[in-house]
Amino acid sequence: MKKILLSFLLAVPILGYSQSFQVNLQGQKQIGMAGAGTGVALDEAAVFFNPGAVSFLKQNGVQGGISPILMRSSFRENGSNITEHNENKVPTPFQGYAVFGSPADRLRFGMGVYTPFGGDMYWKPDWTGKYTVTSLDLRSIYFQPTLSYKITDHIGIGAGLVYSQGHVDLKRAVPLTLNNGQSSTAELEGDTHDFGWNAGIYLETEVGITIGITHRSEVNANVKSGDATFNVPAALSATFPTKFTASLPLPGTSTLGLGFHPSDKTIIDFDVNWVQWSKYKNLAFNYNTNAAIPNSVSPRNYHDAATLRLGIQNQTTAKLALRAGVGYAFSPVNDGYVTPEVPDANRVLLSAGIGYKVTNRFNIDASFLYENVKKRNETNIESGLSGEFKTVAYIPGISLSYKW
Amino acid sequence: MQSNYIFRSIIALGIITMASCKPEFKTITPSKGTADFSRYIAVGNSLTAGYADGGLYLEGQQNSYPEMIAAQMKAVGGGAFSSPFFTAAQANGSGYLKLTGFTASGTPTTAAVTTDLAVRDQITIPPYGNITLYTKYTGDLNNYGVPGIKLLQITSGGYANLNGYFERLLPDNSPAINTSYLSFVTAKPFTFFSCWLGNNDILLYATAGGASPTDQPTDKGTFAALYNLAISTLTASGAKGVVATIPDVLSTPYFNTVTLASLLKAVQVSAPTVNALYIQTGSGAVRAATAADYFVLPLASANLIGTPNGAGYPYGLHPLNPITSQYVLDKDEAAIVADYTDSYNATIKSVAASKGLAVMDAYALLNEYGSGKAVNGVTVSAAYITGNLFSLDGIHLTPMGYAIVANAYIKAINTQYGSSIPIVDVTKYRGVKFP
Repeated sequence: MKKILLSFLLAVPILGYSQSFQVNLQGQKQIGMAGAGTGVALDEAAVFFNPGAVSFLKQNGVQGGISPILMRSSFRENGSNITEHNENKVPTPFQGYAVFGSPADRLRFGMGVYTPFGGDMYWKPDWTGKYTVTSLDLRSIYFQPTLSYKITDHIGIGAGLVYSQGHVDLKRAVPLTLNNGQSSTAELEGDTHDFGWNAGIYLETEVGITIGITHRSEVNANVKSGDATFNVPAALSATFPTKFTASLPLPGTSTLGLGFHPSDKTIIDFDVNWVQWSKYKNLAFNYNTNAAIPNSVSPRNYHDAATLRLGIQNQTTAKLALRAGVGYAFSPVNDGYVTPEVPDANRVLLSAGIGYKVTNRFNIDASFLYENVKKRNETNIESGLSGEFKTVAYIPGISLSYKW
Repeated sequence: MQSNYIFRSIIALGIITMASCKPEFKTITPSKGTADFSRYIAVGNSLTAGYADGGLYLEGQQNSYPEMIAAQMKAVGGGAFSSPFFTAAQANGSGYLKLTGFTASGTPTTAAVTTDLAVRDQITIPPYGNITLYTKYTGDLNNYGVPGIKLLQITSGGYANLNGYFERLLPDNSPAINTSYLSFVTAKPFTFFSCWLGNNDILLYATAGGASPTDQPTDKGTFAALYNLAISTLTASGAKGVVATIPDVLSTPYFNTVTLASLLKAVQVSAPTVNALYIQTGSGAVRAATAADYFVLPLASANLIGTPNGAGYPYGLHPLNPITSQYVLDKDEAAIVADYTDSYNATIKSVAASKGLAVMDAYALLNEYGSGKAVNGVTVSAAYITGNLFSLDGIHLTPMGYAIVANAYIKAINTQYGSSIPIVDVTKYRGVKFP
């Protein structure tokens, strides 16, 4: 009887991420250009943006940078006069790249460490959506050793093996009232270790346009033995699970980039990303015991979605480069499936950046990205949570690089 | 140095600006519409009083739906609102049930809370009978919910001598009271009312398995006359209001937790050959129970099934010792409940329509949520204990259930009067407490 009574409690979704939590902060120069960078050979971040362009870099170098994200989400339940805000946590995606080998050689080597997916969403523990999620901390770090080969003077190919290390920590309230009147809580925490790849082609055409075509593979992040911690009433706690498994597709991304070079000092890059979010059909959790709660399957039903990015760089003086960009990301989340851990909607990206050559070898690049996620009034099919979401993000960033 | 300082200040200011720049939504203009909420009164029975877990106690009173509605009305000009709270020292009021755990087979066990009660006396008043008296309440009053009251009783001058929950609201002591409920609630001017009366006119018949001579259904014509009288009196000086229909008592856990299947399954653990249970119907006939008969929740804790009588026949398992009528709402009695409920609700809706009042359709609402509905990530249902909707008595609601009701009232009021009373946050209210 108890099992049947409890069977509905955890039938609600737990975890997710979206276009918004595909973190597109992989190089300060490129962030300053709204995340465009596939169609040009800008710097060491080509390890991420286009391995095929690595062999076209004129110098070797190493760089490292960070981009703290100040994200502000608000929610107002339909019919309510209370607006709730997420808590101020500042995730700090980072990126580090190195390119080796002789610039005169056809074969070059690269190494990249970056964070292409992640999410940090902390709502207040007693907010109105607490039974759907109170916090999600999702991190993935990709390590990518890379080879790039210049087939001719105008065609380069490259590929990297991706080792992905992930961590997920998800918290929510459970609708069982403790003896003190508070809600029960659940925390699901686990690690993932998975592999993928990143490959690209870079072409210099005779008309002066450069072209990049890349594909970053899907990585299936598997939590093989995560810790499930349920703070539930003592009368029930013995029957609750302690371990879980889950699988999360981090979708593949195909990109076409076009580089324009109107003068020696100016570069324009236009990228189109196509993210295969349609792999994300369900979010399922399997528990080590189902005496208290059944395994859960939450429909997500994302669809593939594009992002358009247009960036410009102008080498204003010998030491100073200025950058700007604009972009638009289409949400992969269908109506009825928006969840508060990822309150996603179509978004506008605006960026600016600055680069300064301190010496010939030592460069500083800084960027600022503003993301405006459209208001979205949603009634989630599974949870019934009904209200309006609005999110903006302010992302400053800085990197240091050394070239030789 | 100077420019460095200015530069740093600009960065600091920029970070503060970004950090404080939370997205906001279009402001909702507060509006009372065509209604006036300056003095709201709540007229009704146990559901209005905040009764839960088989008793009336302070926490339940604080989480009554009228308290919630009144708090939300303050955004649109609502006035002060007072409920007849028990004191903190007597917070357990009449006493109530609490969940103590589960048996090995998963059956919930409960115990009565008997400390810190507000019981003043227990006396016998001829000709009314026994009455439990509670500590008097003397302050301001807006929540007039009186547990147990039937529509049939609202004009009875001596009713307080029968009901200690009403007696405690009145200045006089039993048996000297001659104040009817309807005259008491309308004695002081008010601008807005909610009225949820009529439940007990059929509920008490049903919960007693149809077997109580004093709790037969109120005659349909009498009900219509009294309902017209109540609403005419409440609207006599121009007040606007909202009325609620009577929920489908047959869909509550009180009638759906103990079933023929669950009883047989329990019996078959020790007596696998048993495949029928015998009941005494309302007409006195004895027959095998079918799935169309309802058993009441207290049968589970009565521990009677299988107990032999003087002649050695096991209770419920033999036609010569059937399950007695008070534990069974047989299918004919259930049909009576459904028929009277439909009739009462038709009366309520037509009277409300004739007076232009808002209607909170509790019948539809509790059936909708009772059959399972996701509310902000909580799947509420009519499941006993874990459904989060009904309290331990299987009839009255949890604070979360009352919050759902409060929001239905608010939506009905806003729709009828064009007001913008904000809804309550259902997730701030609890379900059944577990040990």
